[in-house]
Formats: sequence, structure tokens, C-alpha cells
Amino acid sequence: MVQKVLEIDKLKVGINDDGNKIAIVNGISFSLQKGETLGIVGESGCGKSMTSLSLMGLLPPGVEWLDGDIKTESLHFKDFKKKDWRKIRGKRIAMIFQEPMSSLNPVYTIGKQIMEMILSHENISKKQARERALEMLKLVGIPRPEQVLDEYPYQLSGGMRQRVMIAIALSCNPEILIADEPTTALDVTIQAQILELMKKLQEQLNMSIVLITHDLGVVAEMCDRVIVMYAGEIVEEAQVVELFDRPRHPYTKGLLSSLPDVNEEKEYLSSIPGVVPAPGKMPAGCRFAARCSFAHERCKNTPPLFEVNGSKVKCWLYENGDSEAVL
Amino acid sequence: MIAYVIRRLLHTVLVVFAISLLIFFSIRLTGDPVTVMFSAGEPTKEAIEEVRRNLGLDQPLYVQYLIFLKGLVTFDFGESFRSHMPVMDLIMERAGATLALAIGGTIVSILIAFPVGIISAVKRGSIVDFFGRIFSLIGISFPNFWLGIMLILIFAVNLKWLPSSGFEGPQHLILPSITLGMILSGILARLVRSSMLEVMNQQYVSTAKSKGISDWAVIIKHAFRNALLPTITFLGLQFGSLLGGTVIVETIFSWPGIGRLIIDAINQRDYPVIQGGVIFLAVIMVVVNLIVDLSYSLIDPRIKTGGSGRA
Ligand SMILES: Nc1ncnc2c1ncn2[C@@H]1O[C@H](COP(=O)(O)OP(=O)(O)OP(=O)(O)O)[C@@H](O)[C@H]1O
Ligand SMILES: [Mg+2]
Repeated sequence: MVQKVLEIDKLKVGINDDGNKIAIVNGISFSLQKGETLGIVGESGCGKSMTSLSLMGLLPPGVEWLDGDIKTESLHFKDFKKKDWRKIRGKRIAMIFQEPMSSLNPVYTIGKQIMEMILSHENISKKQARERALEMLKLVGIPRPEQVLDEYPYQLSGGMRQRVMIAIALSCNPEILIADEPTTALDVTIQAQILELMKKLQEQLNMSIVLITHDLGVVAEMCDRVIVMYAGEIVEEAQVVELFDRPRHPYTKGLLSSLPDVNEEKEYLSSIPGVVPAPGKMPAGCRFAARCSFAHERCKNTPPLFEVNGSKVKCWLYENGDSEAVL
Repeated sequence: MIAYVIRRLLHTVLVVFAISLLIFFSIRLTGDPVTVMFSAGEPTKEAIEEVRRNLGLDQPLYVQYLIFLKGLVTFDFGESFRSHMPVMDLIMERAGATLALAIGGTIVSILIAFPVGIISAVKRGSIVDFFGRIFSLIGISFPNFWLGIMLILIFAVNLKWLPSSGFEGPQHLILPSITLGMILSGILARLVRSSMLEVMNQQYVSTAKSKGISDWAVIIKHAFRNALLPTITFLGLQFGSLLGGTVIVETIFSWPGIGRLIIDAINQRDYPVIQGGVIFLAVIMVVVNLIVDLSYSLIDPRIKTGGSGRA
């Protein structure tokens, strides 16, 4: 029995320049099931980070929530006041970032930074919080955790810092962990260890993960389901096996065919000609059409997200299911 | 750490030596001290020569300088030409007042600049930020003698709330401290604002926000704490100009500090007092900078003085 922990409903996020609204994330809908890992992939600038930051109410200054809603069974995030967000952050949804080197505060000890999270959500003593922090360090596999508790971030390596970030994120037992490119800045071997750790903890704690990444190898390794984003929209959503076996959207095909090697993710986009249109300069109709080798007349109109055999594809080729589109 | 302190102390000695050269020769360009010593009538040549001999001014310049240097090593600045009191005693008598003023000025500037800078940064682009920046500009561009006189006119002469001169109690400190601190607070507020803006873009501030702690905890505990480092450096570096400012402020408020001692000594060409006063201020400045440097390691654990340990 699948249980939805979060439902994103026509979420629209963007710049509101004196009523002149420019969407960065343009009305996307998806849901997150309990215990699953949902991958979000797409070229740089397609709105992955903005999507994940909206889940926490942490959009940067200048970027606003324009429309749509994020829901749990009992909550509508769109009605949230500051105070409501604070109860969600860390407690129900936690986040880890791309840059472990700079995501910890250099002037506080590791212990203090974990305890801060615990103490802000739970009514326990400092001593108990410290014990919990120690447990968390053990949980994420930090060697000599007692000492590390009193050490400063600069004394730890990047991989260790990302472990600490995970310890902080998980210290209040969140239902959802958002990881925005958690391993991009790390060495390949360390990457594998961190992903391994996330997977293990997910099973142990039965949480859902939203994993944002450039790396399709990571997607294959970690995710149950994948969302492919292009220019602020979802162009394809599929189970991970389905996506790799049978990519449908021409953009997804481009991503996969240009995947050179699991360990060399960086250049995979270069083989799709053209560039992503900038927010505010979006073409009418299908946003990928200008770069698409299958583009034709119909693409001047915006395609809906067609449901095809359990997947969703935003492309006219799939108007009649897979039948016409065997290419 | 110890090697570092020793290196800095050697550096201090060099600086003091350079200043001693500069001050010694430059004041001797201002004219003959002996001619201003006789208040009434035309002195005889013999009388002048007599005074010269007594003050040691008949010796060749380099000998005078060497004598002065020799005194420096033993912290002996000689005697005042005028009162014939040891210069060190004159300085010590007045150091407290200057120190109180410098501390008062620093406190005023911090009290004004920290809130203004922090709020300007947090509410960037808002009307609060606008006024904050106007304030900085005013603070920077108004000469402090003007501000001092205005304060005296308003609070001492018109309202009669506060004394305008002397140093007999804490209330005497208020107007001079504001006068001294105002200029610094303008620059300081700017600096706090810009370091806050820089720090608030850091990833660890996002991390702090993602923990669900209050906005003010994020701003003060996470952002400001990190913005403090450049701020303290700046305060340390500015201590020199703050001391320089005391000279003017002490004159306006008849403040019994070293600044006025030096000004009076300059008017009377009282060489030993000028030399002693200036060198004393210079040493204080260098020592304060050293203390500031050493205090970094308290604020930022990454800095272990001596160089190692930076990640
Ligand atoms: N503070 C901001 N103000 C205005 N626009 C912004 C701001 N931050 C990002 N954007 C724009 O929003 C769009 C989406 O950015 P986002 O960070 O979500 O991309 P992303 O998919 O996470 O890219 P990457 O893979 O590089 O992290 C980009 O076009 C970017 O220019
Ligand atoms: Mg991003």
C-alpha cells in the first residue's frame, strides 16, 4: 500500500517583478511516496534547486511562490506563516546541500551544530541533546565520534562533513530528506560511500528522499522513480528501470544517449545541440522543440503530460500512447 | 604562537624607532623652543644660551637624538621644558582620560553601527536600509569638530543636560564619546552591512535556516558571528585614527587627555612632551593591533596563530 507523504500541485515559482511574473518553475505536479527515493534530473538552470527549496519555504530573496500548493495529508504549505515553516524545517523535511565544505558553520563545533537542530525541535535537556548528537555521529559512521563532537568543521574532510550534514539532517527523524547534489563535490569513492550511507539510513528510518542530481549513474543506483525537468517543467516521469530501458521524451533520450560513462557525468549534456531558453524568454508551445530532432507542427502548442503505460511524458509523440512513437 | 608574538614585538620596535626619527626631526623644524619661553621682555643673548645649555639644546642634533633614543630604551622621555616634570609622569597622569575617551568612542560606534549595519543588510533594499546608508554617509562625511560643537550647543548650552568640558564623572564622557564615535560608526556600519551581505550568501546560513531555528538566531548566531571577524580587524586598524581623533575631541571638550597634552606642548614647543606623547600613542596603537590579531583565534577556530591549521 503506497502512502503519499507529499503532494506537489501545479507549483509555480518565479520572479514577481511589479506584477510581471516570470516563472522559473512552471506549474509542476508530482508526489512523493513513503520510503521511496525520487530523483530529479535535468540540465543546469532547469529549476531543480528552486523546486526543492520551495518544499522548505527557503526560496532565495527575489524568487517567490507564485501559484500552486504543496500538501501533506493535513497541511497546505501555501497557507504557511513563518512559524509553520519553522516547524516543518528540520523536523519533517530536512535538507543537505551540494557543498559540504561550506555548509557547516566554521565557528561552531560539530556537536553544537547537531544539538542546535535537536534543541530547536525537541523539548530535551542539553545533555540529552548531546547524547543524541553522539548517537547520530555513530549512526553516520564517523570515526572517533566522541572527539568529533568537540571538533570544528575545518578539522574534517569533505566526506566527513557531508556525513555530519546527514547527521544533522536526520537528527530529528524527518519523514523527508531533500538532497541537492549531495555528492557532486566529492571524490568518486567518497561519493559511493555517502550514497551507500543514505540508502542504508533510508531503509533503517523509512524516510523518503528527494535526490537532485546531474549524475544519471547516481539515479540508476539510488532512485525508485525519476522526474526529468526541462526549463522549469516536468517532461517525463517514470520508474527508474523504465526510464533507462525505455526513455520516451526526446530530451530524456538525449540525456541517456550522451551518457558516456557512469563515472564521467559532467559533459553528458553537450551532445544535445542548443541551449535551454532563459526564464521569461520561453518559446510558445513545447519548450524543447527548438532543440528537438522530432519537432513538427504540433509542437507549436504546449503538449500536456500524457500518461503512457505508467509513465508520464510531455510530448506530442505520445498522444496515442507508445503506438505511434516507436522510433 | 610565541614565535609569532616575538616577530610582532620586533616589528613594534622598528615602528617605534621610525616614529622616533620622524617626530624628533620634524618638531625641530617648527622653530626654536627657547624663543617662546620668555614671556616678558627681550631676553639677553646670555640668558638664551644659558637656557639652551640647561635643556641640552646646545649639543649637536645627532647627540640630542642619541640621548633621546637612550631614554626611550629605558622608557624615560626626559623632562618637560616647561614644568620640569618627568614626561612619563605627565603622560601617565593623562592616559586614563584618553583611554576612557577611546573606549567610550568605540562603544558608541559599536552600539550604533552593529544594529544599523545588521538591519540594513537583513532588510537590504528596504527603506530601513536606505536610512541606514544615509546615516553611514552622514557619519562619514561630517567633521567631528563640527559635530562636537553642535552637541555642546544643543545638550550643554541649550538643554543644559550634560557638561561640555572637563572630566569629572561619567556624564562628562557622553558628548565627547559620541563625537568621537560617530565618524567611526558611519564607516563601521558600512562594513558590518557589507560583511553581513557576504556572509548571508554562504551555504551554512542556508543550513541554519533549514534547521527551523528563528530568523534572529540565523542572523545573529550564524551570520553575524562570522561577519564579526572583518569587523574586529577593522576596529583594530581604526584604533589609530580613533586615537588621532581624540586629539581634536580633547581640544573641543577641554578633555584632560594625552591629545591635549600634546597640543599644548606643540604650542609651547615643549619637545620632550611632544616626543613622549606621540611615541606613547604609537606604542598603544601597535599593541592594540597585536591584541586584535591574537584575539582572532578566539573568534575563528580555524585561525591558529602561527599559520598552520587553516583548512
Ligand atoms: N535568486 C535568484 N533570483 C532570480 N533568479 C534566480 C535566482 N536563483 C536562481 N535563479 C534562476 O532560476 C533558474 C533555476 O535555478 P535552479 O537553481 O533551480 O537551477 P538548477 O536546476 O538547480 O540548476 P543547477 O543544476 O545548476 O543547480 C535559473 O535560470 C536561475 O537563473
Ligand atoms: Mg541546483
